[in-house]
Amino acid sequence: MNEHAIATRPGVAATTQQIARADETVVFDNVSKFYGEVLGVNRINLTLTSGIIGLVGPNGSGKTTLMNLMTGLLRPTEGTIRVLGIGTDEPTRLFRLIGYCTQWDSFPRGVTGYELIYGLLRVHGYPHARSDELAWEALERVKLVDAAHRKVAGYSKGMRQRVRLAQALAHKPRVLVLDEPLNGLDPMARAEIIGVFQGWAAEGYHVIISSHILHEVDMIADQVILLSGGYVVAEGEIGGVRTDIEEHPIQVLIRCDKAPILASKLFEHDHVVEVTMHDDRDGLLVRTKDANRFYLALNELVLAHDIEMETITVADADVRAVYQYLIGTEGEATR
Amino acid sequence: MSTTIDPVAGAARAGGDPTGAFGIDWALIRRQIGGILRLEISKNLIGGRALILYVLAFAPVLLVSLWVVVPIDKGLGGPASGAAIFANIFPFYVRVSVYLSALLLFMSLYRAEILERSLHYYLLTPIRREVLTAGKYLSALIAMSLTFALSTALLFVLFCAPWGVGELMGYLFRGPGMGNLLAYVGIVILGCAGYGAVFLLAGQFFRNPLVPGLVLWVWELINFLLPPLLKKISVVHYLRSLYPIPVVEGPFAIIADPTPAWLSIPGLLVFTSLVLIAAGWRARRIEITYGGE
Repeated sequence: MNEHAIATRPGVAATTQQIARADETVVFDNVSKFYGEVLGVNRINLTLTSGIIGLVGPNGSGKTTLMNLMTGLLRPTEGTIRVLGIGTDEPTRLFRLIGYCTQWDSFPRGVTGYELIYGLLRVHGYPHARSDELAWEALERVKLVDAAHRKVAGYSKGMRQRVRLAQALAHKPRVLVLDEPLNGLDPMARAEIIGVFQGWAAEGYHVIISSHILHEVDMIADQVILLSGGYVVAEGEIGGVRTDIEEHPIQVLIRCDKAPILASKLFEHDHVVEVTMHDDRDGLLVRTKDANRFYLALNELVLAHDIEMETITVADADVRAVYQYLIGTEGEATR
Repeated sequence: MSTTIDPVAGAARAGGDPTGAFGIDWALIRRQIGGILRLEISKNLIGGRALILYVLAFAPVLLVSLWVVVPIDKGLGGPASGAAIFANIFPFYVRVSVYLSALLLFMSLYRAEILERSLHYYLLTPIRREVLTAGKYLSALIAMSLTFALSTALLFVLFCAPWGVGELMGYLFRGPGMGNLLAYVGIVILGCAGYGAVFLLAGQFFRNPLVPGLVLWVWELINFLLPPLLKKISVVHYLRSLYPIPVVEGPFAIIADPTPAWLSIPGLLVFTSLVLIAAGWRARRIEITYGGE
């Protein structure tokens, strides 16, 4: 592990455990999950306190497995998980406290955004008036009021992501679990959603966010847990890695309606190392040395040229390189 | 953007009452089942799934309508003879239309949502998995019962109609007609309940429940050829015991004493309940691993 990166696991976990009360924390006690003979996560011991916690790791590192375990969608092969003192096999209590925005971009057939949120609130047991109120509140929060009565199947990727977020936060959970929540959101929506997360964390709630984008987590998380190959390889505050991240250019894939204009304008920024246009001229690949400045510039360009964004994703290959730099050879030394 | 948080957790926040009999909040469960019915019934009555249901339920009605309008001699027996023809066709209707509809509809309750990757929405709500199972089952039972009650009633009336409206009304309201019609509707609903429970469970256990469903179908189809003891291991045997108009099942049928109604009806209901309990238990063990499906 890089010597000035994040704090190693045992010290932080022990300290946290001593301070935090069981009914205020999410506790993984020696949790392992195997899919047949395939490892999901192994021997996870974590105590998550309130605030924004980032689960970071390359694809396949075990982030989604950990989140599915936390929300009872998977049962651990070994070990136990307690969320604010409640076991994950107690859905009637657990899901009043927890909301989960999954990564699955799928919905029940034929529903509108409002019907999805309202219908699930009714399944929670809320009466009509309260369900209606909570549904509109959630849709308002993710800026989907205007599209509320349109079929979800006709939504753009970003809108589908937002309706999933609305579903996760509609019942106002104390623990919000978000699997890659910023995927597919345009810069404005990202900023707004990040604001919501920060607001919730400031009020003492748990916001657990997974991402394979270190830069994204760097912006919002108080603490990060770095996963690799199903193991927690490090956890702690992210400050130490900030410089390291910044020194490694990140590669961003953008799909939008005015890619050539965006490409030419991005080239004017000194932090942009390379821009490659896709063959269909609706997409571009950007390499930048400064993610913060890049996203700010992107925001300004989108507004100035009225660009309609379809997707913004960080290419995984570069991220993996940063992880390898931070944790050595896939974190083997810490297993 | 607002970041207001409702800090109160628990059933009370959802408008739930304190726990009732057996330590269970029945009012909350009623509301939750109501919520599932809202989402599921429309799914079962509109869309692709429903189209197959309607074809299986109303294709026989269309065929019989043609028989009614075609000017061929229907005999002189009157509506009672029409009801007798219906009685002989009814077992095939149950074994084909009702059976296949139940297979497609109830099997889809869990399986289709796993394939569509949307089951997790339910599993992320504060609902007991047993209650979820009961709600899904009820939604399909209501949709199928409504459809097949209408289909059965139309078939019965159509078979009795060719002798004129006056004869039909007389048979229905001054004869045994209405009693028979209601009995057949009841049998169809019991069939939906029994088969539905079995296929709901099958949809939880098998990745492709069509295969066990079709194997069971063959078992139900050849029921009349089975020895008396084996006949009893089927739904159709108990339904047959309830037929208001006796049916001859052909020269190769092995005759068995019908089970009396006072035993058949509670027997089917107990069987259905036991299968549903098993489905509820199974639902508690469901994990979301869409990638593995």
